[in-house]
Amino acid sequence: MGYLGEIFVMAMTAIFIQNFVLSRFLGLCPYLGVSKKLDSAFGMGMAVIFVMTLASAITFLIRKYLLLPYGLGYLQTISFILTIAALVQFVEMVIQKNSPALYKSLGVYLPLITTNCAVLGVAILNTSQMRSDGITTYNFLDSVLNGFFSGVGFTVVLMAMAGIRERLEYSDVPKAMKGMPIALILAGIMALAFYGFMGFKL
Amino acid sequence: MRFVSELSKGIVKENPIFVLVLGMCPTLAVSTSVTNAIGMGMAATFVLICSNIIISMIKNVTPVKIRIPIYVVVIASFVTIVDMVMAAYVPALHKSLGLFIPLIVVNCIILGRAEAFANKNNVLNSLADAIGMGAGFTLSLVIVATIREILGAGTWLNISVMPKTYDPMLVAILAPGAFITLGFLMALINMLKERK
Amino acid sequence: MMYYLKLGVILLIFCAVAAGVLAYVNGLTTPIISERKAKEAIETREALIPNSTFEEKTAADSSYKYFVALDKTTKEVNGYTFVASKNGYSGKVETMVGLDKDFKVIDVKIITQSETPGLGANCVKDSFKAMFKGLGVENLMVDKDDKDNGKIIAMAGATITSRAIANSVHEQILVLQKELGQNDGGGK
Repeated sequence: MGYLGEIFVMAMTAIFIQNFVLSRFLGLCPYLGVSKKLDSAFGMGMAVIFVMTLASAITFLIRKYLLLPYGLGYLQTISFILTIAALVQFVEMVIQKNSPALYKSLGVYLPLITTNCAVLGVAILNTSQMRSDGITTYNFLDSVLNGFFSGVGFTVVLMAMAGIRERLEYSDVPKAMKGMPIALILAGIMALAFYGFMGFKL
Repeated sequence: MRFVSELSKGIVKENPIFVLVLGMCPTLAVSTSVTNAIGMGMAATFVLICSNIIISMIKNVTPVKIRIPIYVVVIASFVTIVDMVMAAYVPALHKSLGLFIPLIVVNCIILGRAEAFANKNNVLNSLADAIGMGAGFTLSLVIVATIREILGAGTWLNISVMPKTYDPMLVAILAPGAFITLGFLMALINMLKERK
Repeated sequence: MMYYLKLGVILLIFCAVAAGVLAYVNGLTTPIISERKAKEAIETREALIPNSTFEEKTAADSSYKYFVALDKTTKEVNGYTFVASKNGYSGKVETMVGLDKDFKVIDVKIITQSETPGLGANCVKDSFKAMFKGLGVENLMVDKDDKDNGKIIAMAGATITSRAIANSVHEQILVLQKELGQNDGGGK
């Protein structure tokens, strides 16, 4: 299997088989909180893809060139989360300055991403993931790609959820089920559907 | 008196999971067994108590502009301490909670309480708030885990509670079961509220 | 300007204090963790091949380590133990394997796994591990992959985990056989 095949496997795994939201339980707060409208779901998704990709790249470099050589593995959590917080702030400033239009659509979601566990989750998972041969650990490019695909996976289910919830507005849901309860049950049914991807042999 | 009311509000009135809907990820992910739920609840409560105390102590020296990074540093330090101590003394639990220990850092409950309560109140009330919220979080986790473990494995705290003929409903332990269980629990709570 | 400098210094002080505290706690817990891990490894080895003393050996190309078990009274080679690992459904699965001197599996123990509770995590149960007992390298395959020789029946809903364990053990035995074959000039 060439490198392209490897990438294909990684993409399918991150998007469908081990979807961050539905099978790994990461990033649930935005998944339930920002999925009421399709527009905002799209904005959030794009912001997450962007930050996840960048965060994967930077945390990989920090771990490889700062933490591991100096035996500082125990500072991993604290340095990763600070990097992500700083990164989000930085991205926000850059977008605000250079592209007001983009800032208008993404701006409100960026601060929320700091506490999105999917971003920290992908950074930590990248440190222990292995390629399909089961021997080599992820290199720089693998980590970045995995971050990107995980973000895509998050966006896919977020938008699917938003699409369903938009229609749900017009249906007659029992009073006690309105809002969060029905959203959770919906998420459960989606997770069941995604289990169908699990048996695939790649 | 204030101490008691700050303590009790987290358990029912402002329950972090069922009412405030915070900290969903660990709730759904580690509620596969009651043992995990208790472990996660204790770990998060410990971090919450420590961070609430420290943050309310330093509230006068933290500049507003950089308060969030400072909170994150404080919380991340305690999480790492919990992580290391658990790895040393309760390895089995540490293994089964896995990734979700470092992820306590981004548990919205902890940062949320720091921002909404600890940086405005004194140490004593912040402590009460943390204990209450932590207890509420642990209790909700245990409730969800109890339902899932009994339905999905026929056990409670690893003790068999269902008759031998019971065929475990595997789906309750898997991801879909987590969402559905929590959904029905919340609906039940809404219904009870309506009655009042 | 002075204001921002002050902010930076405050943040730096917080980080420094945090790093100091963590370094201290790390210093306290690391020896406990490594000691416990070493003890666990010894206990697992002794459970897999009882009544033996173990000698640590490193492969000729120093890519992995294995242990030779010697009988406590006769000092004869009793078997071998090693750790096989491969990616399962959601992370690394590590299996410690005990082999007899003819490279048949005595027993296995899953030492690290983070598979789905209720599905892949069932690999630690005896019902799954029991299938490995007595199998030689040619039978250590999942039944779905090798209909004729595969003797490991994949767990329901957890083919990936079953395959990861069976294949990692299978491959590592082949590696070990080759290694020992070279060392002993084809002897047993």
